[in-house]
Parts: sequence; C-alpha cells; structure tokens
Amino acid sequence: MDPIVYVSLGAALAAGLAGAASAFGVGVAGAAAAGVVAEDEKNFKNALILEGLPMTQSIYGLITLFLILLSAGIIGGGFKFAQATTDNIVKSAILFGAGLTVGLTGLSAIPQGIIASAGIGAVAKNPKTFTQGIIFAAMAETMAIFGLVGALIMIATGVGL
Amino acid sequence: MEAVTGILNTTIAVVFTWVGYKTARILWKYTPYSYPNARIKAMEAKLLTEQKFNELAESRTLQNFVVNLEDTDYKDYLADVSSYTVEEVERALERALAGTYGLMFRILPKRSRGFFGLLLEGWDVRNIANVVKAKLANEPASDYVVELGTMLPKVKAMAEAKTLEEILVILEGTPYEEVYQKLLLGEIDVTRFETELYRMHYGKLLSYALSRKDDERIILEEFVRLSIDRVNILTALRAKKAGLSAEETKPMLIPGGTVKLDPLLHVDSFDMALAELDSTKYGQVIRDVREEIEKDLSVLEKALNDHIIERISELERFYPLSIATPLSYVLRKEREIRKLRAIAKLIENGVEPERIKELAGEVA
Repeated sequence: MDPIVYVSLGAALAAGLAGAASAFGVGVAGAAAAGVVAEDEKNFKNALILEGLPMTQSIYGLITLFLILLSAGIIGGGFKFAQATTDNIVKSAILFGAGLTVGLTGLSAIPQGIIASAGIGAVAKNPKTFTQGIIFAAMAETMAIFGLVGALIMIATGVGL
Repeated sequence: MEAVTGILNTTIAVVFTWVGYKTARILWKYTPYSYPNARIKAMEAKLLTEQKFNELAESRTLQNFVVNLEDTDYKDYLADVSSYTVEEVERALERALAGTYGLMFRILPKRSRGFFGLLLEGWDVRNIANVVKAKLANEPASDYVVELGTMLPKVKAMAEAKTLEEILVILEGTPYEEVYQKLLLGEIDVTRFETELYRMHYGKLLSYALSRKDDERIILEEFVRLSIDRVNILTALRAKKAGLSAEETKPMLIPGGTVKLDPLLHVDSFDMALAELDSTKYGQVIRDVREEIEKDLSVLEKALNDHIIERISELERFYPLSIATPLSYVLRKEREIRKLRAIAKLIENGVEPERIKELAGEVA
C-alpha cells in the first residue's frame, strides 16, 4: 500500500472507531438515563454525568487524528511521505499503528457505557452509590488512556511532530 | 516488501473481524436491557418500605388505607375506589399488578418478554382451577377470580356459566380444553385436573427457559426449577400431613424440579419428611422455620417464596443487564401486593394495628 493509504487509514481509524464506540457507549447509557428519568425526573443530573463518561474516547480519537495529520504534513504543509521509499512506508505504518491503537482501545467506550448504564440504575435505586458508579465506569477509561499514551509515544519517537 | 504488506493486511483483517464480532455480541446482549433495567431499578426505589407498611397497618379504616396509598404508585389504580370495600381495594391492587406485567411486556426486549407472557398465563391457570373448583363446590365462582391473566374475559365468562358444559364451550380452542374434557367425562378428578393444568404451565415455562442462551437460560432455568421445587415440596408435605401414600402423591407432583422427593414420600411421618429435606439445598430454609412449619405449612410457602426472590436477586447482582432485574422486581411487587391485600383484609376485620403488623409479615 502507498504511504498515504496508511496515514489516512490510521487517522480515520483513530477518530472513526473511537467515535463509533463512544456513540454506542453513550447510546447504551442514554437509554438507561431515559429509563430512570421516566420514573423520576430527579434522577436527571446524576444520569447525565454518568451518560457523558463514554464520550471521552472520541476526544482521544480526535486528538490522535490531528497529531497523525500534523506529523505527516497533511495539516500545515505538504505530505511528507509522498515517495514510496522504505523509510516513508515504515513511518506511515507507525502512524497507522498509532491510529489503530487509539481506535481499538477507544472501543472501551462500549463496556464503559454498559457499566454506566448499570450505574445509572443503581444510582436511581440508591443515590448514595453515585460516586462508586462514577469510579466503576471510569475504570474502563484507563484502557483508552493507555492507548492514547502509547500512540503519542509512537508518533513522537517514530515519526516526530 | 510485498510479503510484509500481505502479513500486515491479513493481521488487520483478522483483528477487525474478531473485534467486530465481539463488539456486536456485547451490544446485542446488553443494549436491549439498558432502558428497561434502569427504569425498573428506579421503580424498585418506590417499593413500599417497612415504615410505610406500619403506617398502613395503623389506618384503622379502608378509607384511610386508600388515602395512605395516595403518595405511591397505587394512586392511579385506587382512584376509582369509591365504596371502600375490601373487594374493591383488592381489585384495584390486582389491576396494579396487571399494570406491572403490562409495563414489563412493553419495555422488555422481544427475546425475553415472552417469559412474562407465560407468567401471566400462570394466573389463567390459577383462575381456571379456582373457578372450576368453586363451580364443583357450588360456591360463587366470581369471588375467586383474580383480575389478571391473558384470558380474563373467558375466565369471567366461565365464572358466570350456568353449567359445567358451558365452561367447555368457553375453553374451546384453548390449551386447557382437553384436560377439562377429561374432568367432565370423569376420567380424572378435580385434584388431578388442577395438577395437569400446573404441569402444562410449568412445562411451558421450562421449555421456554431451556430454549434461551447464556445468562438468560441460567436465570430462567433457575427460577423455573426453584418454582417447581416449591410447588412439589409443599404438595408432598401437605400429602404427608393428610396421610396420603407415595403412590397417591406421585401423580400430583410436577416434573422438572431439582429435589428428589421419592425418599420423602416413603417415610412414615411428617417430621421424618422434614428431616429428609434437611440434606437438600432447601435444608437451611426449612431449618429456619422448622417449628412454625409443624403448625402451619403456609410459613414454609412464604419462606420458599422469599428464598426464590433472594436467589433471583443474587443473580441480578451477578448479571445486572439481564432478565433477572425485571423478574426480581415482579416477584417483589407480587409479595408487596400480597401484603397489602392481607393488611386490607385485616383492617376490614377490625384487627388491632399491632396485630396487623405481626400478621402481615407472616402472610406475605
């Protein structure tokens, strides 16, 4: 494959996969939020906070997309790896890997949405469990953070900004 | 270079296929329960507390009892109560339970709502058995009809029927026609008729449970088998108290339970029968209420009901986004309504509040 395909795919997968996962995660938690609010409007605030947690993965995806496009020169200048040399292919493959890492770890938004959904139900039954619900849901976030950190290292050391 | 690209592409394809499959499975399994289970959790917070039951027990009149329920979910169902008789209050509570079943049916995913339809059919079975028994005993059958089930109009028509043959016409085309025909022809007695109805019902529940997959199957199978065990244990102990032989009792048992009741049926006394149950998984439940059981078997019925609710609640904690949540809620709601009905009856009978508090806890 040409370097441009690797770079574009990397950027697209980082933002696309993480974004889609966030959408599913927020969808699952949002359905639970609607359920508890249907029974009691007082649940709105707690449900909204828990519902928003799976959105962060899409932000990580977007950051990675910008970094990939920036380091490949697509943003702020000409494409740096236009020639299909071994060095250019390796660098574009690193960018692809970085995007894929963030995209795949961003899938943690789906289980995070499921945890948040169960948390929303638990908080509706017993509002004292709100903090615990946030902590349980936030645990799934760590995988996405690891992915983002890994991607930053790959981009910074393998290609350079 | 081409070989490296090929390996890379193949790896990506495999990873994506695996991730896609796993993601789709997770979404299919959990997403449909997200809305209903969260809503049911919010409804659980509105179940009546012990403090509320104590307030209700102190109502003294049925009018106060109804007023005390106005800040609860029963308000809408009690709005039509005007004469404040115990029958009217009971009907309103039954409508509330029917409303709960209706809500479950509407909000649960298609793949599991069928089970609640079958649970509703259980009320049909109870109604049909009660109406037929009342008719045979020349009692007013409509007093025994619970306003719940999938064929309530037919059940009401049965209660109004002038003859037993008329009931056969009403039951025509239903799964209960054949067994009722046998009763009319004298091939079976009314006890066997009732057993056959319940066998049919539990058979349907069990085959539905076994047709499910993964955690849904685990939860439903556990619930159905626990329910069958409850019915069988109570039947066997009642038979033992009545001095029936093992041969007479066996046809009254429902297949599909987990407890082997054969040794229990062959012992000489009620005490020995209880001792036989000691080594089963219900041993602890029975030991906790052993002394009371000897006087009154309904204590054991309550203990077994509570055990089923407890077990399903355990499964609910293990599988938060599953059918365990609605199932546990419906069982708790049924228990709450049983308790409310008991309190209403005791108030009507002029029982003192302190005594009502004691008795209501015992019956439900």
